[in-house]
Amino acid sequence: MADLLLSSTEKIFIVHGVQDDYRSDGRSNIDYRPMELETEVVSHASGSARLRLANTDVLVGVKTEIDTPKPDQPGLGKIEFFVDCSANATPEFEGRGGEQLANSISNMMQRAYQSSQAFELKQLCILEGKQCWKLYIDILILESGGNLYDAVSLAVKAALFNTRIPFVKAVLMDGGNVDLQLSDDPYDCKHLDVGCAPLLITLCKIGDKCVVDPSAEEESCSVISVVVGVTGNTKSYCSGKEIDSVKSLERKCSTIGMNGSGSLAPQTLQSAIMQGMVAAESLDEALGQALLRERQENVILKKHAYGFLK
Amino acid sequence: MADVYKLIHPVKFCNDYLSRNIRPDGRSFKQPRSIKINVDSIKTAEASAVVKCGNTAVVCGIQLELSPPKAEEPNVGFLVTNVELPALCSSKLKPGPPSDQAQVVNNIVSDIVLNSKCVDLKDLCIVPDKLAWVLYCDIVCVDNDGSLVDGCIIALMASLKTLSLPKVSYDAETEEIKVDPKSRTKLEIHSFPIVTSFVVYRLNQSNIILADPTAYEEDICGGSGTNLIVCYNKGLFCGTQKFGGSNLSKDCQDDALKTAKERANIVENIIDVCIRNHKNSSINE
Amino acid sequence: MPLDYKRFNGPEDSISYKRFTEDYIKSYDQLYQELIDENGVRKDGRAVDEARKMFAINDVVTQAKGSAYIELKQTKVVCSVFDPREIPHQNEFSQLGQIYCEVKFAPFSCPRKRRPHAPEAEERALSVALRKALEPTVCRHLFPNFQIDVFVYILEHDGACLAVAINAAGLALASAAVPIYDIITACTIAVIDGKMIMDPTEAEEHLAIMSPETQTNHGLITMSTLSQLRQITDFRQIGSLDVDCVTKAMDLLQKQCMKIVPNIQRVLVSNVIKYHKERKKLEEEAREREEALNKKMEEWKLLLNAG
Repeated sequence: MADLLLSSTEKIFIVHGVQDDYRSDGRSNIDYRPMELETEVVSHASGSARLRLANTDVLVGVKTEIDTPKPDQPGLGKIEFFVDCSANATPEFEGRGGEQLANSISNMMQRAYQSSQAFELKQLCILEGKQCWKLYIDILILESGGNLYDAVSLAVKAALFNTRIPFVKAVLMDGGNVDLQLSDDPYDCKHLDVGCAPLLITLCKIGDKCVVDPSAEEESCSVISVVVGVTGNTKSYCSGKEIDSVKSLERKCSTIGMNGSGSLAPQTLQSAIMQGMVAAESLDEALGQALLRERQENVILKKHAYGFLK
Repeated sequence: MADVYKLIHPVKFCNDYLSRNIRPDGRSFKQPRSIKINVDSIKTAEASAVVKCGNTAVVCGIQLELSPPKAEEPNVGFLVTNVELPALCSSKLKPGPPSDQAQVVNNIVSDIVLNSKCVDLKDLCIVPDKLAWVLYCDIVCVDNDGSLVDGCIIALMASLKTLSLPKVSYDAETEEIKVDPKSRTKLEIHSFPIVTSFVVYRLNQSNIILADPTAYEEDICGGSGTNLIVCYNKGLFCGTQKFGGSNLSKDCQDDALKTAKERANIVENIIDVCIRNHKNSSINE
Repeated sequence: MPLDYKRFNGPEDSISYKRFTEDYIKSYDQLYQELIDENGVRKDGRAVDEARKMFAINDVVTQAKGSAYIELKQTKVVCSVFDPREIPHQNEFSQLGQIYCEVKFAPFSCPRKRRPHAPEAEERALSVALRKALEPTVCRHLFPNFQIDVFVYILEHDGACLAVAINAAGLALASAAVPIYDIITACTIAVIDGKMIMDPTEAEEHLAIMSPETQTNHGLITMSTLSQLRQITDFRQIGSLDVDCVTKAMDLLQKQCMKIVPNIQRVLVSNVIKYHKERKKLEEEAREREEALNKKMEEWKLLLNAG
């Protein structure tokens, strides 16, 4: 997104297009650009995913470790996000330029995953007060083509869906020590329940309306964007028989934040949040379908090997 | 008008006042600024004090933690003092790790408190070799208008005087610790160090000393911060340090010691009265 | 973590004694009952939609260009603003002035744990949030290539500290005579078990972020507004809330933000009056001195002429 020079007439063209819900590349205001998603790309990670959205390229790896829970939350596991903006991603990230953005993305993710209605940390508990799983989520931004928050949240959800955690039996020995027993079979694993994990939707304010997934040209017409974290629907991530046992949950906001140096009128913010919910719904369903299909393919066919960069 | 004069001719401005035996803020040379103390105003700390010496404002808060004592000194607890000079307290400070001045002040304050033995570290031990109190005394300067060390020590002593430790029971077999925050014992204070700062100013071939200087006076006299600090402990002289500035004559030194001794007495009384008033008012509530 | 050689460090494995008290871990329901009774009255006697009384003064830090101190019962925040200075370490010319914000907690400010001296993630996040809230407020085009430092120090944290920090920063900017578009005010609302709780304390915030077993709404929202321009400069939410709840909270927050404005205005106006009076007095004194001098001059002139 190096400095893009647009004339004022070009800007007006974009603003008018957004006003009429018909953008310059033919999308409506809540349409995303096509994306590619691939899971299980890093063999040493417990789960991984790579997402490409237009020019944005994000790789997410999940590492699991056994840790002791926090003393004031003995029954919960831990999750930690770390974002690394590769210096090659865009010229602005050279040196320490990406640090601030990386911090705000990891912060936003941490906030979005904070509620138990967004991500149940109880499933990471091994033995209450003594042992729990800690998930390290490493997010690597390989190339930045805008809309990083959305891409990162999609890739993280896919990587978590792909994560397998080995079954561990914990027994409390005398003297307060814990004995951990790991199954001999490396495939004796459980999947995480990530159905309601949140997706971040960035809504870029152009004129009086907001658009999702702005192109670089559209971004240069806007001074402020709203990021809305919307919880997912577990139903979209279940297949076969499971589907009936899971009840459908209402989508909720798990975090809202603002980016950019501008300000918003209250009505615009309200409509942006509404719009974010609608966009999240279709995005979440599409992600669920893609992930289920990928998982099935992995089980039935032997996945033919892809190179990491194809 | 005076403001402009002060900016353009800072030295002359100061000379004009001092040659007429008065300081720019209207005090005489050895007159300290008024002190205001407010104890126990910060509820998140176990004990706290807010002290204002003129414009200089300092907040001290003490928090309690538990830790096993050091192996080489199994019956001694910990007293950790830190002085924080955040960037907001003065235009000379920039955000980031502590500046040199902050570290110097930090060391002086810690030396004075530990050397005066006002807290017997053995009192802080609960079970030898197993458990001891750690007193984290954090002193924050909110407004730095000179004589920082005076304010820090007053705030620290006022908070230590109001500190009480909760009762701890330690089961030697299960190593289980239980704390009852309701039953508390007062921490004993064995001595009472009070510090007075001075700057040494060269005026017409002779040196004069100014007690309890403002930040402006400190700047004029050169060096960073005050030039001379004198510490008295319950009427006993216990230390002095001289940093930069002009030379100190014998007369000036005697003068400074006398002033500091008198002030130490007064300040100790002020602290006692403030604590007593606070206690009375909290009982009445 | 590397050892901090510039400060004194305590033993590494020290733990706050509160860990060992009997009521350290409380269940969600226990906490809930403690904070809000069945009639909807909170622990400190407020109704759920009642904010704390605000105490605000400016020019507390004599060394700063402008400063403010705001207290919401136990939450105590100091903010100081310094003169604009050239942006350090910058090669490119920046058309708009920049605002550098730093929020710091005093080590003893939090009831649950001791704050480390080194800046941590929460402080950095608050600094960014404060900067984002202030950027649309300040007329940044008036000082290109310069930055204004805004430092906030939280002496005691008892809830709503970001909102108080924003209010204090707005007041400090105004008293430092930095051109701003409008007075910025902010406030926080907590949602616990579907109940909207205005201006929460630290304990209430803690409960609002804690996840209940049920699927009810819970969360925290902080919003800052420019009241006359009817603009929202920052909006931060955490937790899990449905859209209706967010909209309802937004209305409440807007009303509360409006209520704070007269408080800030009163402080600013009283300050102007005070300054004006002082100025008048000084001028008066100067005139008296001048007259006395003139009289003396006349006398001398007479003497000279006579001599």
